[in-house]
Amino acid sequence: MKTLSRSLTGILIFILIWQIVALLLNKPIIVPSPTETLKTLWRLLADPVIMAAAFQTAWKVFLALGLVLVLGIPAGLLLGLMEGLYDMSRPVIMLIQAVPVISWLSLVLFTWGPSWEGPVLIAFLSLLPMAILTTVSGVRNLDQNLLEMARVYEVDKKKIIKDIYLGSLLPFIIAIIDVSIGHAWKVILVAEYLAGNSGLGRKIYDARYFVAVADMWALTLIAVILGLLTERLIKIGLRRASKKWMPA
Amino acid sequence: MDASLIAENLSKSFSTLKVLDRWNLKIEKSERIVLLGPSGAGKTSFLKMLSGIDSPSSGSLEVFADKIGFVFQEPRLIPWRTVRENLLFVNEDGKIDAVLEKLRLKGFADYYPGQLSGGMQQRVNLARALLLEPDLLILDEAFSSLDLPVKKSIMEDMLMQWQVKRFTILAVTHDLKEALYMADRIIILSSRPSRIVREFTVDLDSCRTFSSPELLALESQLLDIVFQDDAYGISHLSG
Repeated sequence: MKTLSRSLTGILIFILIWQIVALLLNKPIIVPSPTETLKTLWRLLADPVIMAAAFQTAWKVFLALGLVLVLGIPAGLLLGLMEGLYDMSRPVIMLIQAVPVISWLSLVLFTWGPSWEGPVLIAFLSLLPMAILTTVSGVRNLDQNLLEMARVYEVDKKKIIKDIYLGSLLPFIIAIIDVSIGHAWKVILVAEYLAGNSGLGRKIYDARYFVAVADMWALTLIAVILGLLTERLIKIGLRRASKKWMPA
Repeated sequence: MDASLIAENLSKSFSTLKVLDRWNLKIEKSERIVLLGPSGAGKTSFLKMLSGIDSPSSGSLEVFADKIGFVFQEPRLIPWRTVRENLLFVNEDGKIDAVLEKLRLKGFADYYPGQLSGGMQQRVNLARALLLEPDLLILDEAFSSLDLPVKKSIMEDMLMQWQVKRFTILAVTHDLKEALYMADRIIILSSRPSRIVREFTVDLDSCRTFSSPELLALESQLLDIVFQDDAYGISHLSG
């Protein structure tokens, strides 16, 4: 409760500073006042087109995140188990990690033009290396005593992977989701802005095009609130799921 | 009597470090054997060779057991699996509830290891080994981290199972009293590279108490032997 009231005070102070800056600057084209922005926000929240755009951005985020988990974790597991394959793949993974988002943007624009696939692919590629490398380090940090126990009892390999490997990787999977979710929102919005044909990023682009600054700020607020909300909900869900056995 | 295990000139080295030096040992079925020796004497290496996860450098080791139960020094339970799931992990067809009841774990099947005390976790470690209905039960300093009452209680339950099933017990410990409490025969090892320096037959009833005068007398006798044979390399350390 104390934390909540402190957070609310922080937000109020921020809005107050924003109001003062807007008044002093008196240039609504750069900094619209919070009242105007909040009014626009209210209007946009009731607009089904904007809500549809928010939904389009959200599903792209979840699709990219899902792909990262579905492909990145098994790939990391495999590379963690096979050192030779890891040594071979590492340079490529590092290369993908080092490629700037802007280059991926150009590539997807050439391939698809403005599309929904572009933002998803860009978010996927920018998160995949981290997911693979985190999983590899999870495999390498596995409790050797548990593996030895399984060998002594001649437990089936499939069972070892399911019960020991995947269980040991859960904290690492949680870490991947923790880091990825916020990052995915930002990357998808940027990609929608520059190479998308739908979503909140595209709506921000349109608002900029029509110099609707208050709309731009209000859309940004919607994106921030949605991003924080999904991040928070996913984190709470994950913590709850792993609470029973995770060390406090 | 049938043998459960025969080691002949068994040696084990790790690159240039020799840990086991020409062990000759025969253990009969249903015998309770304790290996007593200092740290680093290769006791755990020997147990690993027995359980098939390591192999001898030279000599031979024959194990005549279909099923081997292993009680580790640490519980080695999967933290994200319940007690029941931990037991199912090693044996899907085992009589889990019966084993849990015998080891006073009834009602804890759905607990996670982190929700149990150290002693309870060690009971689950033992339950996992007994669930296999082993011919040979290996204990690797299985009780060393437990306080005396818990240690005594788990050992009592284990020996109760031995009375019924008569599996062979091969245990490793530093604790003389523990050794005397559970063994028919104690194998005394030297410090590294370890040799079998002596065998000590425990001439007591199979039902023993920790503080019986007979056991205490044997403890002092055993202590003399350990010092006399310098099994623990004490004279070497002091000078």
